[in-house]
Amino acid sequence: MDNTVVVSTPPHVKSKRTTRGIMIDVAIALLPSAVMGCVFFGWQALLIILMSVFACVATEFVYFFIANKGFSNKCADAGKVCARWLKQFDFTSVVTGLILALIIPVTAKWYNVFYQVIIGGIFAIAIVKMLFGGTGKNLVNPAAAGRVFMFLSFALTAYTAPNIGALDLTSGVFTGPTNLSWLLSADGNPVTKVSVLDLFLGTGVAGCIGETCKAAILLGYVYLAARQVIKWWQPLLFIAVFGFTAVFMSGFAYLATGGYIFNMELFLPHVLSGGVLFGAVFMFTDYSTSPKGVYGQIFYYVAGAVLVAVLRYFTKIEVASFVIMLMNLFVPLIDKYFIRKPFGYKKEGK
Amino acid sequence: MKAVKGKYYFGGVHPRAMKEISNAAALEVLPAPQVVAISTSQSLGNPALPVVEAGQTVRAGDVIAKADGLISSDVFASISGTVKEIKEIKGASGADEKYIFIESDGKNETNFMPPLSDPSAEEIKARIKDAGIVGLGGAGFPAAVKVSPKTAVDTLILNGAECEPYLTCDHRLMLEKAEEIAKGARLIAKALGVSKILIGIESNKPDCVKEFEKFDDIQPVVLKKKYPMGGEKQLIYAVTGKKVGIGKLPADVGVIVHNVATCYAVYEAVELGKPLIERVLTVSGKAVKEPKNLWVKVGTSVKDIIDFCGGEAVTPKKVVSGGPMTGTALGSYDEYTHKTTSGILLMTEKEASADEPTPCINCGKCADVCPMHLMPMNTAFYAAAGDFDAAAKYGQTAACIECGACEYICPARRPLIQAIRKTKATIRNKNREEK
Repeated sequence: MDNTVVVSTPPHVKSKRTTRGIMIDVAIALLPSAVMGCVFFGWQALLIILMSVFACVATEFVYFFIANKGFSNKCADAGKVCARWLKQFDFTSVVTGLILALIIPVTAKWYNVFYQVIIGGIFAIAIVKMLFGGTGKNLVNPAAAGRVFMFLSFALTAYTAPNIGALDLTSGVFTGPTNLSWLLSADGNPVTKVSVLDLFLGTGVAGCIGETCKAAILLGYVYLAARQVIKWWQPLLFIAVFGFTAVFMSGFAYLATGGYIFNMELFLPHVLSGGVLFGAVFMFTDYSTSPKGVYGQIFYYVAGAVLVAVLRYFTKIEVASFVIMLMNLFVPLIDKYFIRKPFGYKKEGK
Repeated sequence: MKAVKGKYYFGGVHPRAMKEISNAAALEVLPAPQVVAISTSQSLGNPALPVVEAGQTVRAGDVIAKADGLISSDVFASISGTVKEIKEIKGASGADEKYIFIESDGKNETNFMPPLSDPSAEEIKARIKDAGIVGLGGAGFPAAVKVSPKTAVDTLILNGAECEPYLTCDHRLMLEKAEEIAKGARLIAKALGVSKILIGIESNKPDCVKEFEKFDDIQPVVLKKKYPMGGEKQLIYAVTGKKVGIGKLPADVGVIVHNVATCYAVYEAVELGKPLIERVLTVSGKAVKEPKNLWVKVGTSVKDIIDFCGGEAVTPKKVVSGGPMTGTALGSYDEYTHKTTSGILLMTEKEASADEPTPCINCGKCADVCPMHLMPMNTAFYAAAGDFDAAAKYGQTAACIECGACEYICPARRPLIQAIRKTKATIRNKNREEK
């Protein structure tokens, strides 16, 4: 024995899982969606994804560099600060960048999206994440906040239909309503003009880069669940509650033309339209901004699902990102009031 | 009796067992060392009070320190020779401990108590106390207190789970000394006045289950391989389905748990008159040349043990006394074994993690694996802010068994156990001041 021996508190063995490993897993799970986005929307989508990831990572680096006094003493310690940044780099900003790119659409003026996504990425990382303390300290999901920021700043709602199997399109670029807007249409009956299979595969549907192909999202879900990054029941609970609430709400739309109809056929179109599935798998499950206890998590997913369904019905737009931000803000409260009972706990007086 | 399956409980982790390093090595006796240093703090509760002076000759089995109070245990000379000195040294746990140094005279003279044949319940209880037997699983709770519960009990559970990775000494003991363990268990059962004896064994030791299926009065229960299956409350639930309340003792649900090594010690004390002067321990890890399961005299230095096992194969990154999940890291080989030392592990850099902590990402994995269903991240969060009342309240620290599962699973490598211990100590000191 020499003096290199380490003395610390137990346990002396640790699992192989690290934060970095988990974040790389999430990035891998996002890849199918990203690839399908590039297939559907072409090289513009690829450029947007790369730009977004670059903007997020670069923002994190610059913030870290300034905060750790990389510029002081005429950049004397710049090398050291860079080495430290590399050592602590945990891929969270890569995941944020990927998600942010996958929840924005490629519009007719894609070059506008190009600079918009950079501004969104800077906002997401610098303001939403780093200002609050960096990894794990952010109050709301950076990607959701970045998306909402872009939505409010640039009115980024116009969607392009994918290149494959275009619907009833005359031109290659389609900026009309998505299936979601037909589903939610207030005047008249909720209808779905796209087959469920098309919705599932994302062929011929207008939408965001990563949200269009549900099959790819499910692939990511299976990977995350198998790697135990997320609990397998979390997205399923969300989807189930959301689906039923959405069907229940759209029943009211028939009131104008007749009576209330509870039409279960709308379940799948509701679930497969818009960004709900993507949000349920990749954004609601974000560690930092979801409750830590099991009961808190159940409450969080149920409340989030109901909110998305109800708000979607009344606002007629995709509200998943807004609801994610809203629910994120409730998480500290949820954590405070949902405390687990220890093993063997009995109520007083029993 | 035919083995039955144990119940499943939520929580727990699955660290790599690493038992294959040493589970084939039969028990060996470590020759009596030249010098032993026997601590007077051998169990929970007060340290024993020395009754010998420097220069005095002692034989193995002589009382050298008397129990101080109810929760304390007698300490015995483990070799024959001369008491050299009594001095305080900082132990591996960081607290000052009084050590009694004995130099061997090479004669190996013994002074045991007379064996008891067909003892009564009272005689067994008295003998367990006189032999200074403590729980050999690790906590070191005096066994004499456990055999005189205040409430009526109907079940005795033997803890043969050995859920800690690396450790195989209980495995070897169960394999080679099943008969003696069963005898010891029957003696404890007689002292308690219970007829039902169960033994919980993890499923990775099917050979031990087979050994205990031979007895008609002992029911083997095969437990799922999981850490901490051998935790007292977890074991009771897995074996009987009973839940021990927070702040309650197993006796409150009519159950007493004893480690298999403790049963063996009881057998020796009653049938051979031998007090607790040696125990089995595992020497393992990838950094030791010849991993072994040894009979070691209490107070043997770690250096003697390592030398007997062929020394270091490579320079270890961490030296651990006890199991890797709950054991104490040693800073040098100048440490001495206690009654509760169940292993000496020399771990290489690859085995022992010494990563720097990264920020908590709120993943909640620590709560998912907590066998007591607590929320360790809350304790860590509030303890870091210095609010120990909130740390205890939101983390439910009072119920924590410090098994280390939370810190094992933590992807950010947060020092959770440290925060929990700090919180517990602060709350304890505060309560003491208020009184």
